[in-house]
Amino acid sequence: MKTIQTGNGKTIEITVDKSLYRKNQEIADANQRLLDEHSIKSVDILGSIGSGKTTLTGQIVARLKNRMKIAAVAGDITTTIDADRIRENGGEVLQINTDGGCHLDANMVKKSLEVLDLKNLDLVLIENVGNLICPGGYPVGAHQRMVVVSTTEGPYMIVKHPHIFKDASVLAINKMDLAEAMEVDLQQLKSDALSIKPDIKVVFTNGRTGQGVTELISALNLSE
Amino acid sequence: MHETAIGMSVVETVLAEAGKKNALKVSKVELEIGELTFLGTEQLEFWIRNGFDDTIAAEAEIVFRSAPARINCDACGYEGGLPRKEDPADHLILPVFSCPECGSTKITITSGRDAFIRSIEIETK
Repeated sequence: MKTIQTGNGKTIEITVDKSLYRKNQEIADANQRLLDEHSIKSVDILGSIGSGKTTLTGQIVARLKNRMKIAAVAGDITTTIDADRIRENGGEVLQINTDGGCHLDANMVKKSLEVLDLKNLDLVLIENVGNLICPGGYPVGAHQRMVVVSTTEGPYMIVKHPHIFKDASVLAINKMDLAEAMEVDLQQLKSDALSIKPDIKVVFTNGRTGQGVTELISALNLSE
Repeated sequence: MHETAIGMSVVETVLAEAGKKNALKVSKVELEIGELTFLGTEQLEFWIRNGFDDTIAAEAEIVFRSAPARINCDACGYEGGLPRKEDPADHLILPVFSCPECGSTKITITSGRDAFIRSIEIETK
């Protein structure tokens, strides 16, 4: 810390240079190292409330549970509804309630990892709080990020929330069966995403029927 | 709503730094907000002021500076701003997360995703 005397000993300017995000990044990095030490793959799943994050997480768990030991961490402001829904599909689930917080942060995920039996896990799915804005700024240490958007959110949700895509490797465009009723053009949504993030893998899904989930698992490199 | 968490973190850090120097008053706080942090400065100021209420920083001037996004291209070595795509029909200016020179998506964001308390000005005896 540098101190500059600017007046007659009464007013002092102090250089602070303190990052407001570094602590989160450091914990996120430590989370990822811990996952790597146990050879565990991980996905941070982002999307609006009602986009289908939990349904798709449940579908992924149902398809992979015989091949991999999976834990899901479900972040919500309150309730255990999401955790219960994922558990029905056969995954170990840990519920994090943020008590009003609009995103999971690396420290909350760190606490979850302390509780999980990491020696007996191959995959951790982290379902973030339903919100397309705040979670974007808080990496939690997952190896990749998947964003879920749905046709019922209308035609502009991708171009209105470009920043959420900057760290995402996979985009699931969910509720593909409702596109026509919503007058939403699926190819336009895909091209919006690709114009912002040219290397994002886009998969069309229907969480209810499971359509597209195999492709989603493959886009996440979880099929082997 | 993440402005609340960041705002409270600013309040705690500023008061702690001022406390170390036995400040009687904090007169100025200078913040640098990265373009890619999604922080709204108006809301952020509201929460900082809320936290400063009834403290030695209650009357502090809060100065915001913006740090534009910058990238390095791992493929061609380009260093500079993040390209944008303008869509006049929708009045949209979209960031494009790829290199404006060679189109590679192997880019590293070197600036714009962090926020800093750069300096504070305090009054002492």
